[in-house]
Amino acid sequence: MPDDIIEQLRNGMLALEMDAALKATDAVVNGQNKAAVKEAVDAVTQALQVVGKKFQEGEWFLAELVYAGEIAKEIMARLSPLMQAEDSQSQGTIVIGTVAGDLHDLGKNIFINYARTSGFKVIDLGIDVPTAKFVSAVKEHQPLALGMSCLLTSTEKELGKVVDELKKQGVRDTVKVVIGGAALSERSAQNAAADAFAPDAITGLDMIKKWSAVR
Amino acid sequence: MNFKERFLTAMNHEEPDQVPVMGLIMDPATVNKILEKKPADFVGMLQKPVMASQIKNLLNSNRFWTNMYYGNTAGAMEAAIKLGFDANWTIYALMKLTKDPQASVGWSWNDPYGRVWDLGADEDGSMNVNYSRALLDTEEKWEKWVAEKAPVFEMMLRNVAAFHRKLVKNYGDRIYPVGYAAPGIFENSWQPIGFVNFTKLIYQKPEFVKKVIAFQTDLYLRNLEAVMKSDVEAVLGGDDLGQKTGPLMRPELIEKLYGESYRRVAELVHQHKKKFVFHCCGNIYALLNKFVEWGFDGIITMEPTAGMELGKVREQVGHKLVLIGNLDVSYLVVRGTQQEVEDAVKKAIRDAARGGGYILSTSHSHPAVDPLRLQWMVEAAHKYGKYPIAV
Repeated sequence: MPDDIIEQLRNGMLALEMDAALKATDAVVNGQNKAAVKEAVDAVTQALQVVGKKFQEGEWFLAELVYAGEIAKEIMARLSPLMQAEDSQSQGTIVIGTVAGDLHDLGKNIFINYARTSGFKVIDLGIDVPTAKFVSAVKEHQPLALGMSCLLTSTEKELGKVVDELKKQGVRDTVKVVIGGAALSERSAQNAAADAFAPDAITGLDMIKKWSAVR
Repeated sequence: MNFKERFLTAMNHEEPDQVPVMGLIMDPATVNKILEKKPADFVGMLQKPVMASQIKNLLNSNRFWTNMYYGNTAGAMEAAIKLGFDANWTIYALMKLTKDPQASVGWSWNDPYGRVWDLGADEDGSMNVNYSRALLDTEEKWEKWVAEKAPVFEMMLRNVAAFHRKLVKNYGDRIYPVGYAAPGIFENSWQPIGFVNFTKLIYQKPEFVKKVIAFQTDLYLRNLEAVMKSDVEAVLGGDDLGQKTGPLMRPELIEKLYGESYRRVAELVHQHKKKFVFHCCGNIYALLNKFVEWGFDGIITMEPTAGMELGKVREQVGHKLVLIGNLDVSYLVVRGTQQEVEDAVKKAIRDAARGGGYILSTSHSHPAVDPLRLQWMVEAAHKYGKYPIAV
């Protein structure tokens, strides 16, 4: 597979040109070359890292972050059936959901898109997730991290309830808890006894990657 | 000086007798607490089928809705007067109560633009409302919706004009009611479609996005005209262009898509010899120069939880913009001590009030705001906000 196809895929993503990126992806898929599929997956991951960096440095903003994530999702949907088991080895499991009483999911979904493309297995519990469901998912999936999204200050108290219940059920020490959402701050993480507050999806993912590396 | 002279002097970047204080009071929870009223158990009533059906019929009639909504806003004005504010914002909204299995209490509000607003109750039973999702996630749905809603938009615009006129007539001698045309062009274009869908459309169907923005711009200009019929000298407009860490889109993209619309907004208000203050939440440092370029006269919110600092904003824009807001609603006026409130008021005055052009207020309305903290805020403004500024 010529390097320039992979380059076209990467450039298409970074230029936010979905058609160009998908055209290059189709060329990879049609080539049926397993090494090229792996190169393409790596290129998507690298491109998303560049996007994340641009976002954190204030060069790109939420719309660009979202659209790059959507392009990556489309590419991965085409590449996934051709991926070898070793290509899709998980970096770890993340359980995530929006707390009870809150129906917002934009930030959560951006995070999921980037986390999955970075090699994490993500269990998405959806929106308006009751405490018991978070705890039961932690027990069942034994994730590296539990992410809770909360856009509303009126539902902030739910974060602490989940952490308390994790403690009660003896699984708090098995999982890192990260919270994110417009209503939250470092103070919210302290109040809820979470491990970290992520101001945005990319920072949250960076934290979990670090936790994954030192496991 | 009276409250109106004080407000308008500050709007002209001149020093009034003291820093004006503006209320952003609108949440039922805040109004009920200030006026010591017990909230009606609206959410509870919706759980009883017969009663829910009756409530739905009542609320979805324009006459009842208009009277009820006016009554709620009149309560907000009374609350703001009681606490000693010089001004308070006034916002008209038209909603339709809709049975909704996806909503947290089984019912939601739908607005005429195509948004769904989730409704719930706080611990005291006061209703709260939050944007939850889009109804028009395809081009076809959007086209059909705006065609069908044409008569509703006309009714809404008539209601807007009558609502603001009545508020000014009934309250204008006791407080300065600053009419707010909301939601704005940006929010009205993406929220009914959804952010992810709208973002995709920007790149994949730019002509459709152009059409949506053109439609919303024309409608918004008419909304502003309706607000301005109340004859107040300053109006608010709003669009949350920012989120916690920065603008929702690249400033160049916002300029490309919305720049012309915002210029038209400022021009229209100035043709009426009025001032235009732009409500914009989030971290918006990267857009401040755009606001000046588009012709806005002021900005309101400057959320501290999104990293906005008054001193930095003043340093960046000088006296090209009037600044309103910045006092924190996540902690300070919810659970802060009197000393913390006083310190924050002093800091705001020190950072932004010299030379006029600053109106002290919280960064936003919020149902958790505590009336006592608001009272401390007003008292501190009176104590430390006298010109010449000496804090």
